[in-house]
Amino acid sequence: MTVSNADKPTLPERLGTIVKTPVGVVMGLIDAPMRALQRLTGLSGMALFFLAPNMLIFGIFVLLPLGINVVYSVTGGSALFLPERTYVGGDQYARLFDCGNYLDALTCQEDAFWTAVGNTFWFVVLQVTFMILAALVTALILNRNLAARSFWRAVFFFPVLLSPVVVGLIWRWILQRQGLLNFILYPFGMEPYNWLTDRDWSFMAAVGVSLWAHMGFYTLILLAGLQAIPKDLYEAAAMDGTRPGRVFWRITLPLLAPNLIVVIVLALIRAVQVFDEVYILTGGGPGTSTLFLTQYIYETGFVSQPRNPGLAAAASILMGLVLVVLTLLQLGLGKRGENKGKRR
Amino acid sequence: MGQIKLSNVKKSFGAIDVLHGIDLDIRDGELVVFVGPSGCGKSTLLRAIAGLEKITSGDIEIDGRNVNSVTAADRGLAMVFQSYALYPHMSVRQNLAFGLENARMPKAEIDKRIMEAARMLEIEPYLKRRPGQLSGGQRQRVAIGRAIVRSPVGFLLDEPLSNLDAELRVSTRAELAALHARLKATMIYVTHDQVEAMTLADRIVVLRSGRIEQVGTPLELYNTPGNRFVAGFIGAPHMNFLQAAVENARPGHAVLSLPDGSRLEVDAGRQVLQQGAALTLGVRPQHLTLGKGNRSLRATVRMIEALGSETVLHTELGGQKLLVVLPGQHRFSPGSEIDLSLDAAPLHFFDEKGLRLETSV
Ligand SMILES: Nc1ncnc2c1ncn2[C@@H]1O[C@H](COP(=O)(O)OP(=O)(O)OP(=O)(O)O)[C@@H](O)[C@H]1O
Ligand SMILES: [Mg+2]
Repeated sequence: MTVSNADKPTLPERLGTIVKTPVGVVMGLIDAPMRALQRLTGLSGMALFFLAPNMLIFGIFVLLPLGINVVYSVTGGSALFLPERTYVGGDQYARLFDCGNYLDALTCQEDAFWTAVGNTFWFVVLQVTFMILAALVTALILNRNLAARSFWRAVFFFPVLLSPVVVGLIWRWILQRQGLLNFILYPFGMEPYNWLTDRDWSFMAAVGVSLWAHMGFYTLILLAGLQAIPKDLYEAAAMDGTRPGRVFWRITLPLLAPNLIVVIVLALIRAVQVFDEVYILTGGGPGTSTLFLTQYIYETGFVSQPRNPGLAAAASILMGLVLVVLTLLQLGLGKRGENKGKRR
Repeated sequence: MGQIKLSNVKKSFGAIDVLHGIDLDIRDGELVVFVGPSGCGKSTLLRAIAGLEKITSGDIEIDGRNVNSVTAADRGLAMVFQSYALYPHMSVRQNLAFGLENARMPKAEIDKRIMEAARMLEIEPYLKRRPGQLSGGQRQRVAIGRAIVRSPVGFLLDEPLSNLDAELRVSTRAELAALHARLKATMIYVTHDQVEAMTLADRIVVLRSGRIEQVGTPLELYNTPGNRFVAGFIGAPHMNFLQAAVENARPGHAVLSLPDGSRLEVDAGRQVLQQGAALTLGVRPQHLTLGKGNRSLRATVRMIEALGSETVLHTELGGQKLLVVLPGQHRFSPGSEIDLSLDAAPLHFFDEKGLRLETSV
């Protein structure tokens, strides 16, 4: 720095000073106690010291409730407070698994649970399959040199930003008897129909609405993956005279596979937890046709008369196990993808 | 097989004109090198020939057939990309086989071709590996192998050596030359390294801002550069340019005055130089010799680079820089004055527009 610059600080320099001065003051103040602490605890002790606030919050709000949940799942009765509850061992689990025939929910003691499991299973299968396919196709189209590409990208992403409650309400307004869909179909000679009180339609609506609400997120990840594939690979393929279908199956898909796997597992995890937008949309009905696991747990624990927190806790632990398996799968696959990236 | 003819080829990206009408005739089996500064349109021209870039106007013919609307795959050309563009998820063997499978070639024939190419390029031990498990030089060979197996009528190479380190570059360059001699196929080679151009080319095409500046054999370009740009581009270190004025011009003879006030008598050949005209005198650093001669200059030494086998002098003459490369080792102190003889030096003259004036020395 020249002398003339030194007495006339530039704007960035001035801003730097404004930020630096208070930081410097604080650092100066805590320097001595920190050093003393380090002398007391040693270097690894300091690491624990800095981690402690985070661990405390995680412990209080995640780990502790998890533990309490486990305890609840081995108690019975309808009391909410733990000291008033009686220990029942594995009874709640036994009750959940008490079935005449596992393929028929109605033969089970907790038929609602198994209906919810079945519904959730089909929901996961259908929603994830169609959503990933739709996201992939959308990403492939957006990846072309399309006019107004950022506009379309935003259009597909906007639903992700909506609150689930808003999503549920919007689609209820569309699908209810006096809704937008019937209004549009009426001129074509369709009698108004209440889509949400039809067993099959309401299930399909649950799948479709949740697909609409979440697809943008996965589209964006897949689009990023597609854009990371070097353009010259496609040019090499063009020089090699590769037909478009073969380009997709032999080049695009294998190179997109790491992203695709991550996206599928993430979508699976979220689909298993389906609740909010569908609960607003159908409330689980008609009957139990859109009753999913989370809603079952919530209603068993807090709504039903008499409520049964222990049973809800047991069911939520079982659902947690499924999520743990999926998460481990994702972590494992993620790690494999990273290693592959390193070799490339 | 392998003639490529370009007529008035133009290419624009939107409002940006990149190629301004390229005419070029490439003979069968020739190794033509495109050189030019960065951004001059070398890659664009190569990609236009490949069919990866649609030309805005003009014609491209391969073996007499107009290929303007023929797809890249059907032009019978193979391309080696600067990044190699190997399919990362396929083994080397699959990379080589991919294009042949597209053409639905029988498996036995594919295997035969792969083995031939692998033997030629010495990549047999790596056929099962993926590109990520190869060194840069090995990847480069695979990229060339992928082109060879298709037995194209012509090879297009876009800076194929630019990702290799200096040593590997020299040896791979020699291998490429040998490969060309062996395959006898037409090759178009893009580089901005003029040493590569000089050593490899049958003919060099010098490009600047989307125009061809000159086409010729390496020595033609070196000995009789058509303009100042080519003169400065071919040869390393590049040619010295001195501003001069014609003082006394007679047919076949002229006296030039140089910026330091000295006079230089030159043989103007058939050229009639205009009295008083300003021109540029070009002389290569290697062609100046120490000592006084019939025609000599007096320059001040500013800096010395001793390279062992030669000594590079940065000198100054009437405010203009003059680079001198002397064979062997010499000692000078900065600031000292030296005499430089032009007697043995081919002199180049360029008019005010930078075009070559035909003169003999
Ligand atoms: N797709 C494109 N859209 C717009 N301009 C482009 C495009 N491709 C290239 N250009 C422009 O065309 C000009 C020539 O580019 P080109 O890649 O052919 O240069 P080059 O001679 O190969 O340079 P280098 O030696 O750096 O590789 C450049 O000015 C570049 O900015
Ligand atoms: Mg280029």
